[in-house]
Amino acid sequence: MSEVPGLAAVDTALAGHAPLPRDNGELVFEEPWQGRALGMGVLVLERTGTSWAEFRSHLVAAIERRQPRAGESAATTYYAAWLDALEHLLGERGLS
Amino acid sequence: MSARGLGEPQRHDHGAYHSRPASEVELRARALEALLVEKGLLSSDAIDTVVEHYERDLGPRNGARVVARAWVDPAYRERLLDDGTEAIAELGFGGAEGDNMVVAANTPEVHNVIVCTLCSCYPWPVLGLPPTWYKSLPYRARMVAEPRQVLREFGLELADDVEVRVWDSSAEVRYLVLPMRPGGTEGWAEERLAEIVTRDCMIGTALPTVQAGT
Repeated sequence: MSEVPGLAAVDTALAGHAPLPRDNGELVFEEPWQGRALGMGVLVLERTGTSWAEFRSHLVAAIERRQPRAGESAATTYYAAWLDALEHLLGERGLS
Repeated sequence: MSARGLGEPQRHDHGAYHSRPASEVELRARALEALLVEKGLLSSDAIDTVVEHYERDLGPRNGARVVARAWVDPAYRERLLDDGTEAIAELGFGGAEGDNMVVAANTPEVHNVIVCTLCSCYPWPVLGLPPTWYKSLPYRARMVAEPRQVLREFGLELADDVEVRVWDSSAEVRYLVLPMRPGGTEGWAEERLAEIVTRDCMIGTALPTVQAGT
């Protein structure tokens, strides 16, 4: 676990470009899959030696690509884009 | 920092009984997890570990705020016990698995504890991620069969004349324990009170102590 960045480090790495969703200043995870998506991303980055800067650019692109569905929450939109970014990254690495 | 429930493993998947139909994006998350496991890049356990690690950074602050409010505001306490879902929503907490919250108040005569015997239903909008032991088969089975002994193993010794009530969670109802406000906290502000309300206090496997807040 020591090599996996803490939540604060992840938050910092994404701040300004593709910030983690917040509500009233607090990080928001509305459903368990959102937390798991985050955990998967952190592990994939660590195990493929991918930098946060690289993942962030995938994430920014995925957020721009994604059309929010009607009635969808900001956190759902964000973590759906997160999955999309992760899939793109894996595709690039020949792991999809 | 605080958050609504961060994560919960998908392995205890009694979907037909205890879960709502998974959304499209949730299914996609599961498919990606399965792919990553198949590729040998990570294991579901590794994800659990990361999520639990993050959960500790966040903590069950929402539930603690609900309890602290009930301690300082008798009218809120009454609403909370009358309609947990509504009273918890007043503080801005809720969401899919927080629906139909029932709050069980500890009294000098009754101690409450929550369990999910069928899988691992848990009021995560207020308590965050369930601890690993909550999902374990021994806890789920033994808490119903011999609650007093299990509580003793958690270090909670209850007097013989205290009745133990075990609340079995389901898809329809999630429970939250409202512990008694400990002595020695007179005049404490709500924020300070919230600091001594731990996750285990709201599951019912521990009692709040003044030491925790000093």
